[in-house]
Amino acid sequence: MIFIYLLSGLYLGWSLGANDTGNIFGAAVETRMLKFKRAALIAAIFITLGAVLEGSGPSRTLGRLGSVDALGGAFTVALAAAVVITVMVKIRIPVSTSQTIVGAIIGWNYFAGRLTDFKPLITIAGSWVIAFVLSGVISGALFFLLRRILDRAKLHLLKLDLYTRYGLIVVGAFAAYSLGANNIANVVGVFVPVSPFKDISLGSGFVLSGISQLYLLGAISIAVGIYTYSHKVMRTVGKDLFRLSPVTALIAVMAEAIVLFLFASQGLYHLLLKLGLPTIPLVPVSSSQVIVGAVVGIGIVKGGKNIRYNVLGKISMAWVLAPVMAFLISFVALFIVQNVFEQRVHQELTYSFNSVTVPEMERNGLDVNKLPFIKVNYYSERQIYHELNNTGGFSREEILKIVRIAEVYPLQVDIQKLYSGRMINRFEANQVNDLISLTGAAFYHKWQLQGALQSYEGWQLISNPKGEAEKQHNRDLLNQMELLYRAFYRNGKELGSSLRGSEGKVSQGGGE
Amino acid sequence: MALLLKTTKQIEAQLDQFLDIVSDAAMLFQLGMEDYLLERNAQFEERLSQIREKEQKADDLRISIERYLYERTLIPENRGDVLAILENTDEVIDNIKDSLLQFSIEMPEIEQSLDDLWMQTTRASVSAVEQLVCAVRSFFNDLPAVNNYMHKVFFFEREADHLGEKLRRQIFALPIDLARKSQLRWFAIHIEKISDYAQAVCDRLAIYTIKRQL
Repeated sequence: MIFIYLLSGLYLGWSLGANDTGNIFGAAVETRMLKFKRAALIAAIFITLGAVLEGSGPSRTLGRLGSVDALGGAFTVALAAAVVITVMVKIRIPVSTSQTIVGAIIGWNYFAGRLTDFKPLITIAGSWVIAFVLSGVISGALFFLLRRILDRAKLHLLKLDLYTRYGLIVVGAFAAYSLGANNIANVVGVFVPVSPFKDISLGSGFVLSGISQLYLLGAISIAVGIYTYSHKVMRTVGKDLFRLSPVTALIAVMAEAIVLFLFASQGLYHLLLKLGLPTIPLVPVSSSQVIVGAVVGIGIVKGGKNIRYNVLGKISMAWVLAPVMAFLISFVALFIVQNVFEQRVHQELTYSFNSVTVPEMERNGLDVNKLPFIKVNYYSERQIYHELNNTGGFSREEILKIVRIAEVYPLQVDIQKLYSGRMINRFEANQVNDLISLTGAAFYHKWQLQGALQSYEGWQLISNPKGEAEKQHNRDLLNQMELLYRAFYRNGKELGSSLRGSEGKVSQGGGE
Repeated sequence: MALLLKTTKQIEAQLDQFLDIVSDAAMLFQLGMEDYLLERNAQFEERLSQIREKEQKADDLRISIERYLYERTLIPENRGDVLAILENTDEVIDNIKDSLLQFSIEMPEIEQSLDDLWMQTTRASVSAVEQLVCAVRSFFNDLPAVNNYMHKVFFFEREADHLGEKLRRQIFALPIDLARKSQLRWFAIHIEKISDYAQAVCDRLAIYTIKRQL
């Protein structure tokens, strides 16, 4: 059943392979510098490598935007995005996979009554603008530099042709790697919280994690998209979107690869972190936007005469239209999947305001006296938001904090779950020992488990983190805790019967 | 890829050889013209046969380059332009050969008083071809220099036209038969035509250069 759900993700992967590969190799194939078969092979290999080796960074950001917590939901969200992309590809509008999937996730948030955290949304949306401008600046600078170099180098036309071919292969491979790393989050990112795969040990300490297997599957679907449909799209992109010479195509793809890499590379992220330099957020950016930015950059350096503003306008329209369409289709499809096919598209969460959660809110610096006369239990984040928003006493950020504390999420520490889910390798030995000492402990809220772990050295979050290294420490710990929430989740009934049949201790405050 | 590198080097060498031949043919034409005016007939015929050989070799090279460019899909963006340049430049050699051949067949009697102007016109036309060869070489190797050479081609073409006109006026001012005048005019025009061909190639080259610019 789970694999049937995954099909929509694979469909999305197929559409990404068909659509986005054109942005990398379209000009090279169209100018006959590279044969389609060779371009497809390079793209397939390097997109897969990028997805498996570096794909997790952008996925985390996407996960923070909306944690689709049921397979049915993930299936529908991916399907909605894939349908929009397919429609856009059919009507020959280059579309942004990243924007489409974000639109679909927000659709899920609305349907499930969850609040959209604007922080990652602003990070993602801001990155699109930055990526577009950055690729324009990089391509413009590269163009300027390369023109000077070529004027001085006095290369023979045939040698230049040869080097451009080599360059298109190397840069294309780099761009494909970066695309895989950056955009795999769009394909299978929504399935990350509900991944059915377990870690596989390949011997000599090398472990292929469940998430990596998910990425591998996504990458294979992208490869199928490349081989079956990208040829047509390559032609469309190479001819209609822009008409570049092989050398300018090389510059554009180089700029695209650099930008995609900047927004996807965990290695670079950690290097900047080590050097104490400001980091670049790991978010999925649009390869269509980036390549258009690169072409515009070259056009501006050339005097702005060869920019086709009507095409640019059409593409910009699609950048707005695609996420809106994805949002609507996702919302409607979720309704149909839930009510017609009777599939669960999100977990039914409860939010409690009681003697445990309200004092915790107070401890977190929230003025509980401003809480209106509200019910004990809520079943939708939006409901809480509207009620608290109407009182006018809380900011959006504070309301999100309240929601996180009130959220009921039954958990029971069971180290075996980490072993059977093959997730144990993601934790340090001392962290595993800490968890063993908590075996059987049950919690009704995520923050309670987090609080219990805070007393152990290996789990302590740095309050008021200064600098990127400390922030990263906290991010890593929170990611590990997300894994624990997934592994230790028990539904209310399970938790109750388990507690009755064992000597498990319930954390103070589990009074729901 | 190693094969591609080898082919690239081979075509580069062939292109250089082709342009060397065009340059050689132009210089041989000038020497042949001198021989003809000084009535060194045997040497003149030798020059003609040398130019014939060169023309044949240029044809072979052009066909070989054409074949390689298409077979290996090299310079796909500029392939058509390069082939057009080669074909048009080849026509310049053909024209040089035809001119000299016509001298060999008709053996026109040129008045000694015309010798100086005749050679001046020839030198101007030959210089236009030599500058054309430099311009084509630059098109392959050093794009910014192409305009400089093209300017020189245009200069020598105008010079050849100017001298040619002067020559034709002198021909018709001579006290000789109209038939001879007409024949000499035809030969004078033929010499001018060599620079016209060079200019025609340059006109195309100017467009291809713009296309090649980044």
